[in-house]
Amino acid sequence: MNHLSEEQIVLHYYGDAEEATEVERHLAACAECRAEFARVQSMLRQIEPLEVPEPAAGFEEKTWLNLHDRLPEKGSLLRRLFRPSPPKWAFAGVMALLLAAAFLAGRFWPRPGQQVAQQPPSQVNPQRVVLVAVGDHLERSQMLLVEIMNADTKGPINFSSEQAEARELLDSNHLYRVSSQQAGDPQVARLLDQLGRVLAEIANGPAEVSPEDLEQVRHAIQSEGLLFKVRVVGSEVNSRVRRPEPSGSGVNQRL
Amino acid sequence: MEVTDAAVVAQVLAGDRDAFRVLVDRHSRSIFRVVYRMTGNQQDTEELVQETFLRAYKSLERFELRANFSTWLYRIAVNRTLDFLTARKTHMQTKDTYQIVDNPDAEDSAQIQLPAQGPGPDRLVLSAEMKQKIAGALGLLTPAERVAFTMRHMEGRSIEEISQTLNLKASAAKNSVFRAVQKLRQQLEPYAGPGTSSRGARWSGSAMK
Repeated sequence: MNHLSEEQIVLHYYGDAEEATEVERHLAACAECRAEFARVQSMLRQIEPLEVPEPAAGFEEKTWLNLHDRLPEKGSLLRRLFRPSPPKWAFAGVMALLLAAAFLAGRFWPRPGQQVAQQPPSQVNPQRVVLVAVGDHLERSQMLLVEIMNADTKGPINFSSEQAEARELLDSNHLYRVSSQQAGDPQVARLLDQLGRVLAEIANGPAEVSPEDLEQVRHAIQSEGLLFKVRVVGSEVNSRVRRPEPSGSGVNQRL
Repeated sequence: MEVTDAAVVAQVLAGDRDAFRVLVDRHSRSIFRVVYRMTGNQQDTEELVQETFLRAYKSLERFELRANFSTWLYRIAVNRTLDFLTARKTHMQTKDTYQIVDNPDAEDSAQIQLPAQGPGPDRLVLSAEMKQKIAGALGLLTPAERVAFTMRHMEGRSIEEISQTLNLKASAAKNSVFRAVQKLRQQLEPYAGPGTSSRGARWSGSAMK
């Protein structure tokens, strides 16, 4: 006599097995399968729902406050038409600052052939590897932000590839933010916090956006000089990566 | 009489952004519970709750007013959490030497040591150690398995609900639940003491059809 498969036994426990009557009949007749079912039952009964901590008092309020400024207006055409748009000079200013930052970064960037400290793989400092990852993350984020700032604003804009990129960046962003917070690097943590809000806005928007929606995203990017900060902090992180590590101080190095 | 969720949604869609707060007040705690069971981490959960409401707000035009708002919101929360867990898993696989603080509540999840002989099952049921082992074993599931298992086992959702929420065929949803249980057995049965090991090898090719 064939026995029940593990899948049949597990699904029967939840009442999801096909041919449930046959499974039950088999269990009634077969001591071995009955014992197996009892083992599955005993193990699954031990797995109780995870105890969920009660969110702190005012959780709803906090959620709403964090959310409020990220909610675009809906419906009312009048409100949308009269929403103040960011001044053109703000964009020009950001671009000028970016050019200046690029110029400075270029001047201080190490030339090919310049000696860069290297460590054998066995001595690689994990914090330093995180630093490299944060540098890459900021570079990718910067590319995305620049792409959005330069997107064509005529007609409906397909935003799906930018959204996919933003979603990916958003999840890494959270992890890097926690890491930098714990490593005692508030500057990077603050920037990643700000970047996370904008990435979330891009990631959660519709796949096809109107020029007005795009303008709103651009406004969020410009409002706190985000692109400039990403560029500057990214350069700083990269220069810290290139800086030779003093012997014995690596592990506690700040991000 | 309390205003219905659908009426609040209509109000928001008409341009009253602040009305959305009513929905946040009504549903954020239940969404917190759902997400926490899947992530096991309070900070991640709080952020995912916000993400869920943000995504819901931005897709509000697609919500059918006759549908149940909490079910719709639940689906958004589960899928957003699944995306998050998937990204986290990929991230940890590619950068597992980075010492990134990821999920402090399940920090030993990948390092379960199986003892040759464990204490008896009855003692383990209530022990904190077993809870830790369970948390660790859950941490070894793939994101899809973890979400499907949480929905079926911990929330008592039906296979139909799981397949609708995760946009899967019913057979795929069942398979995710089964694979989750199979992995949990592999991790947890060694703790159940001698004489309780499963018949493993005999399952291959001898199922009752």
